[in-house]
Amino acid sequence: MSKYDPIVYKDGKRYFYRFSAHQRIQHVVLFTSVLALALTGFPLRHAEEPWAKPLYDFMGGTEVAPMIHRIAGSVLLALFVYHTIYWMVKFYQNHIMKLKRENRVTFMNIVREFFSQEMVPNKKDVVDFIHLWKYLLYFTNRPPRHDRMSWREKFDYFAPYWGIPILGPAGFILWWRDEFSHLLPGIVFNAAYIMHTDEALLAVLFLFFVHWYNVHYAPEKFPAAKVWLTGYLSEDEMIHEHYSHYVKVMIEAGLEEEIKPQHFGGRHYGW
Amino acid sequence: MNTTEQSVQIVSVSHSAEGVSETRTARHLNWIQFILFAVILMVPFDKSNASNGEELNCLICHKHRGLSRIDEQGKFRLFYINQELFESGPHRRNNCKDCHNDIDRIPHKPAKKVDCTQQCHIIEPSGKRKFSHKFIAETLAKSVHGKLDKDGKPKPHQEDFPVCKDCHDQPFYRPIAIYKGEAEHGISQRSITRCKACHKTGNFAKDFYEHVTTRLHKTRFSKEIVNVCAKCHGDSEFRKRHELDDVIKSYKETFHGKLVFLGSERTADCIDCHVVEGENNHLIEAKTVPTSAIHEANLGNTCRASDCHKKASPQLAGFQTHVTYDRKKYPLQFYMLIFFKALMAIILYFFLTMIFLELLRRLFPDFSFMKDNAPHHIVKPEADKDKP
Repeated sequence: MSKYDPIVYKDGKRYFYRFSAHQRIQHVVLFTSVLALALTGFPLRHAEEPWAKPLYDFMGGTEVAPMIHRIAGSVLLALFVYHTIYWMVKFYQNHIMKLKRENRVTFMNIVREFFSQEMVPNKKDVVDFIHLWKYLLYFTNRPPRHDRMSWREKFDYFAPYWGIPILGPAGFILWWRDEFSHLLPGIVFNAAYIMHTDEALLAVLFLFFVHWYNVHYAPEKFPAAKVWLTGYLSEDEMIHEHYSHYVKVMIEAGLEEEIKPQHFGGRHYGW
Repeated sequence: MNTTEQSVQIVSVSHSAEGVSETRTARHLNWIQFILFAVILMVPFDKSNASNGEELNCLICHKHRGLSRIDEQGKFRLFYINQELFESGPHRRNNCKDCHNDIDRIPHKPAKKVDCTQQCHIIEPSGKRKFSHKFIAETLAKSVHGKLDKDGKPKPHQEDFPVCKDCHDQPFYRPIAIYKGEAEHGISQRSITRCKACHKTGNFAKDFYEHVTTRLHKTRFSKEIVNVCAKCHGDSEFRKRHELDDVIKSYKETFHGKLVFLGSERTADCIDCHVVEGENNHLIEAKTVPTSAIHEANLGNTCRASDCHKKASPQLAGFQTHVTYDRKKYPLQFYMLIFFKALMAIILYFFLTMIFLELLRRLFPDFSFMKDNAPHHIVKPEADKDKP
């Protein structure tokens, strides 16, 4: 993390560090393969709709589109494995090594370190979640103050950890059906089919409505957020989404006097 | 015989590039002829009409595109014969009277329905006998689509059982050109020249070439096969009468069905699974019949047919093709579907409600029933923990 300054200035504005280049590349690989999978999978799922055949033909037709789908699926599965290894290495470097240096490697300490990671759901997420609903139902005028990762981002992050283990193996079984038929009874293919097709619909609808709301449709993001390209978040977005973290970073940078008040509503942004 | 505009288009599409331009010119000429005839109201004797050896010259009347009437049942009937299509079809060497043998004069009374099993005047070359489709009809009678059951008693709802023309009303005749390993529609002029080198007389080489090549591959698109079966099996009243599942709908949910509807010709349609490999296509048998392709004992081999899942184990046949999501018949699929639909509903309704409320909340940023009067700026992270 030392490579990246927590705060950078551009055109007199403050920007806050969020994602390393390594992480941003992983995200590009992730969404490219998911888009390719959706574009070659959904015409098949809705083969009888009028848009299905033109789209499928555009993606290469019945001979090429399945190939694209399988390549993209393999890439996504490889990325999933790669990311898990990436996380394990990071965990070892940042947490286990620290424990080793301090000579207190015990099971409980490792568990404690595990839950101290910024991506792992914790008590504050429950508090923020309840606070958000109080705010949405007009029981408070103060929006929740999220830490570096809000519960919504954690939900987005862990969605593939639910989706890929279901979609991936099911897709793999359907792909190598002739070979798998020597190991598994035929009914497994029925199950794999439902798993693959229904989980895919859930994933795509979630991405389309919820994730794209977070990064595309929301008024302050429209037409698109830039953090996936730059790795840095503007001060306004930071205050809006990660106020707790914002305060922490500002204090660490010795800018305590310049901390801006929290805001959420329209007129602060001038909508 | 092709009498509809639809089949005119389809057949012209399936010709080779040269064929299309020929067809267009020919059709263009037909139009000019038609306008001329309409104006003069007299039919000059066209030389090509005589090529069929018509003793009655039926096309004097039936060549007119508008020739039609409303029959006794109130149905619109078109009697136009497209000569060009007829002469590229498999019955081109039959005279009209070979099939419509109850007509002996012009003008004639309404003709009887054609019996496809009667003998026609074509001599079948291998046995030198008069040709008939009777054998096909016998095969059909033995199949699950036959009108009589095992004991020779008529099955209920006789009118629902198909006759030849229920499936073969709109045949696609697609000659195939195979040259240097490339298969495409139309006649390969380069390969037919080899035939013509010896078989010079008349149209023999062309006719023989077409006779063989049209039978080398499926005469119908897979999608069309499904639609033919759906004529009856897609009708809910029909299914109720015979206590059948909606196999068309469940087929369309399989990858076979989906690929067929996206234009694949390399995936299984109804006939591929319901007819034993190498057997006559008309012998579709119920799954209780021991010789049936879908009988428990044969299903494994049906999936592993030479063009399909060659490397699979017979266990692949355990895949349930016609799943109806009926709770008793398909419990696994039923409960899996419920699980995924419920999961999807919960997650999406939750987040969509939240997004809606959040957008709404932005309209009234400062309104609230209770005010949080904690200092709005410079809140140390520790202070956050006290106030949920």
